Amino acid sequence: MDFSIFGQMAESGAAMGMAYALIAYGFQLTYAPSKSVNFGQAECVMLSAFIALTLIGTGMNYALAVVLTLLAGSLLGMLVERVAVRLALQQKNEGWILLTIIFGLFGGSVAENVWGRDDRPLPTPIPGDPIAIGSISVTWYEISIVVGALALMVVIELFRRKTLLGKAVEAVAADPEVAGLMGINSNTAIALAYALSGATAAFAGILIAPITTVGPTMAAGLILKAFSVAVVAGLESGFGVIVAGLVLGMLESLTSVYVGSGWREAPGIILLVAILALRPNGLFGKATVRKV
Amino acid sequence: MTMMNALSRHLVIRGVELLGLLTLAVLGLTLGHSPYALGLLTLLAIYAISLIGLDATVGYLGQVNLAHAGFMGLGGYAAGLMVAHFGVGLLPALCVSIVIGLVLGGLLAVPALRLEGPQFALATLSFGTFAVLCLNELESITNGAQGLTLVRPALLGKGTLDALSFYWLCLALLAFVWLGARRLMEGRWGRAIAALKDSPIATDAMGIGALRHKVLAFAFGSALGAFAGGLYAFNLGFLQPQAFGYELSVTLLLGSVLGGRKTVWGALVGAGLVVLLPNLLSNRSVFLVFAGVGAVLAIGRALLAASRREWSFAILAPALAMVLLLGIALKTPDLESWRKGLFALILFAVVVGLPDGLMGFVSQTLARLVRLPQPPLPPAAALDAVLPVRPARGATVLDVSGLKLYFGGVRAIDGVSLSVAPGEVLGLIGPNGSGKSSLVNVVTGLYVPTEGSVTLDGSRIEAKGLLAASRHGVSRTFQNLQIFGDLSALDNVSVSLRGAYRLMWPLVAAGLGHAEEQAAQSHALALLELVGLTEKARIRARDLTYSDQRFMEIARALASRPTLLVLDEPAAGMSRPDVAKLKTVIARIKARGISIILIEHHLDVVAELTDRVVVLDGGKEIAQGVAEDVRRNPLVIEAYLGSAAHTEAAA
Amino acid sequence: MNRTGYAVALALLSLAGAAQADSIKIALTGPFSGGSAPMGVSTRDGAKLAIQEINAAGGIKIGAKKYTLDVVERDDEAKNERGALVAQELSSMTDLVAVVGTANTGVVLAGDKFYQQAKKPRIISVAAGSAAMGQWTKEPTVVPKGELYAFRFSANDGVQSEVIIEDAVKRQGLKKLAILADDTNYGVSGRDDLVKRLAAIPGVEVVANEKFSIGQKDMTAQLLKAKSAGAQGLFVVGIGPELAAIANGMGKLGYKVPFMGSWTLSMGNFLDNAGAAANGAMMPQTFIQEDFTPRARSFIAAYKAAYKVDRIPSPVSAAQGYDSIKLLAAAIEQAGSTDGTAIKNALENLNKPVEGAIAKWSHPYSTWDPAHPESHEAFRKERVVVGVAKDGHVTFAHEEDKKRLEALDR
Repeated sequence: MDFSIFGQMAESGAAMGMAYALIAYGFQLTYAPSKSVNFGQAECVMLSAFIALTLIGTGMNYALAVVLTLLAGSLLGMLVERVAVRLALQQKNEGWILLTIIFGLFGGSVAENVWGRDDRPLPTPIPGDPIAIGSISVTWYEISIVVGALALMVVIELFRRKTLLGKAVEAVAADPEVAGLMGINSNTAIALAYALSGATAAFAGILIAPITTVGPTMAAGLILKAFSVAVVAGLESGFGVIVAGLVLGMLESLTSVYVGSGWREAPGIILLVAILALRPNGLFGKATVRKV
Repeated sequence: MTMMNALSRHLVIRGVELLGLLTLAVLGLTLGHSPYALGLLTLLAIYAISLIGLDATVGYLGQVNLAHAGFMGLGGYAAGLMVAHFGVGLLPALCVSIVIGLVLGGLLAVPALRLEGPQFALATLSFGTFAVLCLNELESITNGAQGLTLVRPALLGKGTLDALSFYWLCLALLAFVWLGARRLMEGRWGRAIAALKDSPIATDAMGIGALRHKVLAFAFGSALGAFAGGLYAFNLGFLQPQAFGYELSVTLLLGSVLGGRKTVWGALVGAGLVVLLPNLLSNRSVFLVFAGVGAVLAIGRALLAASRREWSFAILAPALAMVLLLGIALKTPDLESWRKGLFALILFAVVVGLPDGLMGFVSQTLARLVRLPQPPLPPAAALDAVLPVRPARGATVLDVSGLKLYFGGVRAIDGVSLSVAPGEVLGLIGPNGSGKSSLVNVVTGLYVPTEGSVTLDGSRIEAKGLLAASRHGVSRTFQNLQIFGDLSALDNVSVSLRGAYRLMWPLVAAGLGHAEEQAAQSHALALLELVGLTEKARIRARDLTYSDQRFMEIARALASRPTLLVLDEPAAGMSRPDVAKLKTVIARIKARGISIILIEHHLDVVAELTDRVVVLDGGKEIAQGVAEDVRRNPLVIEAYLGSAAHTEAAA
Repeated sequence: MNRTGYAVALALLSLAGAAQADSIKIALTGPFSGGSAPMGVSTRDGAKLAIQEINAAGGIKIGAKKYTLDVVERDDEAKNERGALVAQELSSMTDLVAVVGTANTGVVLAGDKFYQQAKKPRIISVAAGSAAMGQWTKEPTVVPKGELYAFRFSANDGVQSEVIIEDAVKRQGLKKLAILADDTNYGVSGRDDLVKRLAAIPGVEVVANEKFSIGQKDMTAQLLKAKSAGAQGLFVVGIGPELAAIANGMGKLGYKVPFMGSWTLSMGNFLDNAGAAANGAMMPQTFIQEDFTPRARSFIAAYKAAYKVDRIPSPVSAAQGYDSIKLLAAAIEQAGSTDGTAIKNALENLNKPVEGAIAKWSHPYSTWDPAHPESHEAFRKERVVVGVAKDGHVTFAHEEDKKRLEALDR
């Protein structure tokens, strides 16, 4: 009896953890070339989910709606880069933290006024009935999160490694000056990175919506959790976010049942602060040497 | 005449401050009968106190602090629970809040130590979230999500305090915090924290202590935040954990940025906007007027820039944001529903267009319109008092023995031994990547050597960081300038003075630090005189010319009365007359008995000033001796220019 | 505000404009955003419907003149603190006559003291936590006889839990029950009430008592604990979005047991977000969107026409908002003035029956007595029925309930 509770909680935790991992992966995409992340990412997840809601509501084919939402998410990402990030990067300061927070604030307000303040279900062709695997109940939604997140991460990795555009972004990540000398416009590369990050946020929104419903606060706690995953794994650790995501998701879920539902965010936070204090580059990150 | 001007400047600035506080007092008197208006004014004073605290980390330290609301919550609950369970009076309860803020703020600073930028923001966000989580879950103590209802106790216990008296108390506390914080932040602490923001490396290297001041800034700010939280609890008479979450932290942060950094006026303006914005929004016509004015200003500025063909995002974007703001305001009958969005647009315009916040902009404009003379600087102290001549003690000042420094496979230093005699100028030369910078970084405590030892004045330098090395008696300048850009040249030097500031902070906050400040300034002026920057003492360091910045770094490095001074390529990028000036300066320093290690490429500087030269290549010493001899050493020529055969072929 | 709201507002404004300074200002407060929004929005819209009808008929008669009703709206966002600020603001408005609304118990607890201090009559249209009235019955906030300005026009959780427990224990014969409640004042108040009543019934056991917080989507932990404790039925106290999460969680785990709880299980955002998983959920209701009486029919028709919806987001809130206004208007007219104390006295002694959407109200309130808080409560057990969720709507669970209400109306 006990294992089934443990197993069930671990399963649902792992599924949400993959969602965090996907968003954390999006953070990495922008961190690599620009050392910046979108603090308003939660609002981007939410806005994309609302866009998906509207598109599906028009009756169009679900797959088409998903593709268009991904596109919208990419455009949103590029908007964030142009409006909130580029200036700070040019001035070589960290003003993008504040500006992306402000962007998120504005995005939240837009969502509330355009779509209303209520939580709504996202129509999805994915069936809601659970499958029993042993004594553990798994829903297709959860499977779709895991499969979807992995698929998108693989696709983006392939893009980064195999295409010319992707390699250009890598070049900027490695050394922006030299990349510039080679004719790669770092602004474009960073914009592209933000577009990809926006797409991951949009996809995450679509994947988690059947569980969280679509509403202005659907991604509220998400920013801290996805950030925790990104930082615990290391902001340049690639697929390390998957491990960190699974661990943090399960930790959260198990804490909620064995300690208390209100405490479920505590281990993640403690782990985050511990990692930040002891290994600022994350569990899977590379240590850097300070040069004076 | 100058006395009158200085006095009048002082009076004007203080007068304006007094005016601000008086306005609040008058408002309290006239609106005191309406509990709602009184509640708002009290809230304004409370938020102003909170933002003064937040300014320490956001304005001075320049970081994004998302934990402040959490501290307000902790302070509020601490005070509230003290009253609810132990029946203490208002003042003792508030003291508990302050202590909680100090202790927890100091504790949070420890893991947040090494963090910058997004990681620091994250650490503070985590703390804030965790604080609310604990307040929510520890139901048996805090009553959790349902909240705690409080009765406002009298100052020292028995009875209750009415709303109007509470308002006067908050106003008095605001004035108290205002004056104290201003004195502290305009003095050496504020300068040290601002220095920390510009260059943590130099802050340690100059012996100020990055860690120490970071913790102080955070603890101070959090203590004020908790204090404000305590007042907050008794203003509303109701506490709930959710009230102190991310949303409030963001509101406070943005209020601080909006008002302006490094200014208590900014805290008041920011607090005012945050508290009054919802009310402003419910009165549509008033808001439209404000929005209109803001839009006109922003668009006007943009048009002005356009006429000069200065297209920049920083000028255009705010104008567009304000246009969007007006558009939304005009089209929406219910402004309250767009509160967050309108706030965001205003903030965007200010953060991008007025990086120093509203008050920063106002004070800069005022400074241009109304020229008030600065108080005169004290005369420079005698150099002997500031930098006494060092007597020679022992045969060597610095001993490096068998030093090895490996970074993985890279052998930056591969077995180097050298020594520096008292009052000697040792040149350290070699091609790029030969290990010169690595060597001085070990000597100044930045790197831990893989093998070998460094001894200064007989005692060993443990690689415990730049700060420890500085305390030991090593000082340096940097190859890539590490100036405290936001501070004036004078402040760059004065903040680095060792032993100049002995007065305890309560006395400084009480206004008794003036004499000490004057003495420090006169000491700093003496050092600036040494490097020839007396007339530029008041100029902000980042506005100095490149050469002047280099000279300033030297003056700053001398402020700690070092035994050993490391100059890392001081002549780089300097013009000929400046190089000549540099030679004079180095000669003067040498005359003070200070030993110098000089890393340089300028061969004439090396030739003229050094007593001995050590040449490094590939992490090893390849030659040592007088500059003249070393220059002709074939090994040295080969290291710099390649083999003789190659040079002949190239020629 | 949606387009239909504009229409009503415009109508109001034009009429108010016609009457110029001869208007009476009242405030409508409630959560217009967040998970509680359906309650707040429905209350407001129901109230405004009543106001429009009153104004269309010329307004309230005081002395020789007729006064139209003017509305001021405030969103308390279901947050206690915001509620306190709103209450502070409204109680400072000297020309405000009365306040109607509020759906969240915590908001009432945080804010009502300001109305009491300012002697402004206020009608709680939705908030059900017994503590909302209970705060006036004991120290330190006890109010002496006849001096309370707050009235409740909704079924409090004491009455509600009585009804739903009866259904679970007597009708369905359930013996082992689990309680899942949110951590707000409402959830805690409701849970405490359930626990107290269930403890008094021999043979019935509460096998699991779990809590969750607002915004939580994953209820697996709580459900697993209930399941492993052998609960035969679930009582849930919360609001729409979280209740939906519970229903969906039950679906995911394949845990099918009777699912009952607070009246909030009728909220639109529960029904929509839980979908098929909501079917069979049972809750106490004071009003069901069905044409079971002529007055219900006409109210529903008027609401649908005014706001162009097919399903009222929260029928209970809408009807209670509507009737609150009707009672208030009657009281003002009876008092013959806008003085708060006079209105309060009139409400306690209504001498003419008031036609509402829910019932014909004859003397619903009496002089306040702290020993008998029901003196300021309008609903008794007989007025509460059991509703059941079915395919996105709420209908009567038991035919006899429907008949009883019809009978009461005659």
